[in-house]
Amino acid sequence: MVHETLAATNAVVTLDVALPDIFWGWYVTMNMWAKSIGTGLVFMLFLLLKKNSHEMSSLRTPTLIASFVMMNIFLLFTWLDLHQMWRMWHIFFYPHWTSAITVGAWMATLFVGLEFVMIAVMILKKDEKTFDKLLFWTTLLAIPVTLYTAGIMAEASARELWQMPTESAQMILAATLSGSAAMILLGGSKLSDESKKFFGSILGLSALMAFIMYMSEYIFGAMKAEEVAAVLHYVKGDGEYASMFWIGQWVAFILPMILVALSRVSNSSSILSLAAILAIAGLWVVKHVWLVIPQLLPLS
Amino acid sequence: MQLGFLVDLHLCMGCKGCEIACKVENEVPLSTWRLRVKYVDVGTFPETKRTFTPLRCNHCENAPCERICPVSALHYIDNGIVNIDKERCIGCAGCVMACPYGAIYIDPETQTADKCTYCAHRIASSMMPACVVACPVEANIFGDLEDPTSNISKYIQANTDVQVRKPEKGTNPHHFYVGASQAHLNPLASKREEGYNLFNNITTLPLGGHH
Repeated sequence: MVHETLAATNAVVTLDVALPDIFWGWYVTMNMWAKSIGTGLVFMLFLLLKKNSHEMSSLRTPTLIASFVMMNIFLLFTWLDLHQMWRMWHIFFYPHWTSAITVGAWMATLFVGLEFVMIAVMILKKDEKTFDKLLFWTTLLAIPVTLYTAGIMAEASARELWQMPTESAQMILAATLSGSAAMILLGGSKLSDESKKFFGSILGLSALMAFIMYMSEYIFGAMKAEEVAAVLHYVKGDGEYASMFWIGQWVAFILPMILVALSRVSNSSSILSLAAILAIAGLWVVKHVWLVIPQLLPLS
Repeated sequence: MQLGFLVDLHLCMGCKGCEIACKVENEVPLSTWRLRVKYVDVGTFPETKRTFTPLRCNHCENAPCERICPVSALHYIDNGIVNIDKERCIGCAGCVMACPYGAIYIDPETQTADKCTYCAHRIASSMMPACVVACPVEANIFGDLEDPTSNISKYIQANTDVQVRKPEKGTNPHHFYVGASQAHLNPLASKREEGYNLFNNITTLPLGGHH
């Protein structure tokens, strides 16, 4: 705290025009949430291929279609969030390659294109070999597609809270969390108990790692930067977003961790499914809070 | 040529002439500002003073807005100005997220990003920016930072307390202040309290007659 905020000096803003509030709101939350599920499902399908490929036969097409739908939801909300949405084509005709937005838009488009080809390969030709070959490249591409949003957040120099490499780790964990959760729900009885346990472990560990990272920032973030401290006030004590922050942490991470453990003890698929539903729903809340709070801080 | 701005806060009296001149010159829509003057009251009665800080785009040498813009709508021009092509802008608001100075807004009429351009159109005709012309105390000093004989260079040489906003961001602003305290430059150095505002709360006309 600088000396102007001491009682003796007492600096108070007495005239200033309205400052912009939240520019990236729930449309962007939808963007991040849907993309996490979309790429996460591809990661999980690839893991299933490597671990229990015999369980793939009835899951290739539905998993890819689910991922494709989520990726299109992500693209739809990205597009809706533009103030000049009919100029979207500028990204492809006037690309600026230092921007993570540009790089991401190109990669996401390629990713969705690849997914479309994979679905077509399965529906039209039922060619599992080609599908599995394409899945390798799609999984590789899913990594930067998952990460590029963290790149955008890192390039947002005004928002000190969004740091690299923390955000990139959170993006990957969001994808493994929501991807494994979606796979558990989508796989249902088509997955063996072993595979369910495997995806349950990914879900539980992703929740644990993400929770540790959020708590680390919550507790220690304020000790390094004045702006981070000011932003974290919104989720501490009686802060504007404190309740929402904790609802998100409980629903996305804490409860799924407990439920995954319980499902293992009781060998219950329904408890695992509940953990998966909570993780997917809670992730939206977690992402939304972290997106919004830095935008509440006056920058000038 | 690298154009830059310096505001001598010893001279600024908060008349907002620059703010109005900018509004008129650039037809800045209602509820948005390319340049604004912030008042911060410092001290405890009777030892109080009011500070004035004109705030505008810093035309950073390493501009985060230019870097994040996906379509190069925000771009450098040869004289160092970070300009904006509103026809190219897609309104993604990436620049709004990236600017550490809160200097960029979305124009409600064009739905594109907008900000101070140092009146690039006037400079192209060898005219000073509108805010420089309007300032009654010549607190705005504008000129070529690469020319050691320019007014701005001389001012920077002559004063020891030349500062920029948020130097830790590594943006290398082309906008300087003389006579600034933390209350002027650091938004976290002052409180924003409900009710402490020179504006009153009468903002809307009640429909259906006066009450």
